[in-house]
Amino acid sequence: MSTVSLNAVSLNSKALRAMRRTRQRHRLGNIEWFDAAYRAYLVGIFGGGSVLWISSSVRDATVSAASAADFAEFAPPILGLLAAFALLVGLRGGAQGGPVALEAADVMHVMLAPVDRRRALLRPALQRVRGAIFTGAIAGAISGQLAGRRLPGSLLAWAGGGALFGASVAMLWVGSALLAHTVLARSSRVPRWSATAIGLTLVAWQSVAVYFAMDSGSTKVAGPADAFGSLALWGWRQHSTDLIATAVGLLAVILGLLLLSRISLEALARRSALVAQLRFAVTMQDLRTVILLRRQLNQERTRRTPWRRLQRITNQKPRTRTRALTRSVFRRGWHGLLRFPATRLARMAALSVAFGVLQATVVRGTTPAVLLSALVAFVIGLEVMEPLSQEVDQPDRTDSFPVDRGELLARHLLAPTIALLPFAIIAGAAAVITLGSIDAIAPAAIFALPNLIAGAAGGVVSIVRDAPDPFSADKQQSFVPPEMAGFGATIRLLWPIVVSAFGCSMVFILRVAVDNDGPLIGAAIRGAVGSLLLAVVVGYWVKVRDRIRRKFRAFMAEGRTQALGAR
Amino acid sequence: MTSLRELALSTLQLSKDYGDRPAVLPIDLQIPFGQHVALVGHNGSGKTTLLRMVAGLLDPSGGSARIGGHLSGSTPARAALSWLSDTPTFYDDLSLREHLEYVAQLHGVSDSSVRAEELLSRLQLENRGDDIPTTFSRGLRQKAAIAIALVRPFQVLLVDEPFVGLDEAGKQSLLELLDEAAADGRTLIVATHELTFVDRVQRLLALRDGELVYDGSPGDTDVHQLVRAG
Repeated sequence: MSTVSLNAVSLNSKALRAMRRTRQRHRLGNIEWFDAAYRAYLVGIFGGGSVLWISSSVRDATVSAASAADFAEFAPPILGLLAAFALLVGLRGGAQGGPVALEAADVMHVMLAPVDRRRALLRPALQRVRGAIFTGAIAGAISGQLAGRRLPGSLLAWAGGGALFGASVAMLWVGSALLAHTVLARSSRVPRWSATAIGLTLVAWQSVAVYFAMDSGSTKVAGPADAFGSLALWGWRQHSTDLIATAVGLLAVILGLLLLSRISLEALARRSALVAQLRFAVTMQDLRTVILLRRQLNQERTRRTPWRRLQRITNQKPRTRTRALTRSVFRRGWHGLLRFPATRLARMAALSVAFGVLQATVVRGTTPAVLLSALVAFVIGLEVMEPLSQEVDQPDRTDSFPVDRGELLARHLLAPTIALLPFAIIAGAAAVITLGSIDAIAPAAIFALPNLIAGAAGGVVSIVRDAPDPFSADKQQSFVPPEMAGFGATIRLLWPIVVSAFGCSMVFILRVAVDNDGPLIGAAIRGAVGSLLLAVVVGYWVKVRDRIRRKFRAFMAEGRTQALGAR
Repeated sequence: MTSLRELALSTLQLSKDYGDRPAVLPIDLQIPFGQHVALVGHNGSGKTTLLRMVAGLLDPSGGSARIGGHLSGSTPARAALSWLSDTPTFYDDLSLREHLEYVAQLHGVSDSSVRAEELLSRLQLENRGDDIPTTFSRGLRQKAAIAIALVRPFQVLLVDEPFVGLDEAGKQSLLELLDEAAADGRTLIVATHELTFVDRVQRLLALRDGELVYDGSPGDTDVHQLVRAG
């Protein structure tokens, strides 16, 4: 065994580079080029088609000069708010160990070797920066050309300005994350929450700037991220001072890269496994796992002590087995719900506010807001249905219980549905405040909970649909031709969100009543009944799903047998 | 007083907590070069956390650890320390031989083939050298990790639960390799539940609920009593 001197530091970057090249060759050799080209083709067709469709849906009539002037005044602080949020997310993510992720094997073998860590981390960090800038620029360019259809200036210039804005915001995000990780999180003197506090302060400041910008009578307050927002208008008019925003983003990235050697190995080790799973979940379009892994990446842990302990169960035996099952599952649900961490409750409360505001916006006449509210409700559903998710994630245990799986899963809906009540109150209050009318209180009180339950039903569909198939051991045959598999996967991804959208669309009953000066309470009752009907249908589907699938498979197998016999 | 540079491992008030849950209470340790140490304790006693902090994989909540006087995680400390984890990790696009070559090169060994082949042979892996270790069984993965940990030069070897998943032949090979390392003057620190292994070491450390409850000769205590949860 050879020895090593403690001071003989071998900076073997050459070996690192050589092996990375070898691994790249291996990876390239394993790529199915035809498959990759087909995927690129699909992304091009569907992605490009979607952009064209959305673009064509924006009316091409240019806004009036007065509206354009208003826009020029409001847009910088409002778009600056996006940059402030990006900064908050970056600082928070960095303090929690982001944004760089390595393979677990790299953490063990490269990071523990006597190589220059900054040099070893530079490539993955640059890949992260590059990816963020590319995504930001593309999103910015698409949004820019959409804006350019109604505002003065050429489409190309707007797309360019949007891309510059998107790239600058992306640099701010990734740069702030790197700095929060290497400076704030690594300092023993600075508490970890300080990164979030700094981000929140800047968001609050920018929000104040937005408020004063919208209030035409008052004096204006400059926001810290106004320059970023102003950069987005470069397709129309250019202020050279806006380039400060790009410079700030770039500076944050450069400083972050210079400090790479300060990155915590603990964070890298923790994130390496999670990020690999997250990428896989994204590839598999498994939204529930994506959310679960995001929680783990953010180090969101369930509480050791519940918010409130349930009373011990009495000796009184339920009269029937069904009741005993209901009681056990109901209690299990509350045991899990009462351990939700404060951060998750705060996030759900914030999502509930957004849901209420968006639903009120639909009532006011903005139809597309229903889609956004559906997405928000879908996420709330995934969050609150955690006990159901846990059951689905333990298929071996679930299948070992002497009860029908559908019966068990359906009972898991009870406790989370009740737990939605406080969030429905928050959403209702947000809707009433947005509508700004006392007349909205009674309809909101009637409609909020059923509406939120119906919106969250998409989350239930997503969780139960992804449950392992108890019949998978049987020899099966796909009933879908391979050519339709991609289309099927897209439908599979969208189906739960469609359910949420359908649930949220009950709000149109209220909108019609408002538009026609009809009775609001009657409309709220009708909307609530419709929402509850959808929730009952989804609950019933959870209960009988396995039975239906079993029957369908038996039916198809019988058909095949008969067809073979006929030959 | 012993200088820090004369110590293979020294910790000063080294501690770790996860939020409000302490995992390792402040520990002061001094392990000279060449010593053969076993670290025992019940499940959750803090053995792995302590070793991972020493390896530089976990950030301590308080205090510090030094390898040969160098702060753990620093480049000279990494050059001196080899870490054999209880959860081996591998690249999924490199064969075992390529792993050995890569790790050896990262540690400044330009030609590791002789040592690599010797390790493969002694761990009964000679026929699996060109296979991808991520496809191995639990025991074979453990053997592959042992080969990777030993193919590179080191002065301190940190080992976490090395016997888990190994068959009798594998255990025997590992014990021989550890004995050889000890005979070559390397410092060995082995966290284990295999209490028979404790007889082979010069010094025993025992943790209970994150606290160092025993530091002395293995012959002077009832090891079974030490590893019982508090």
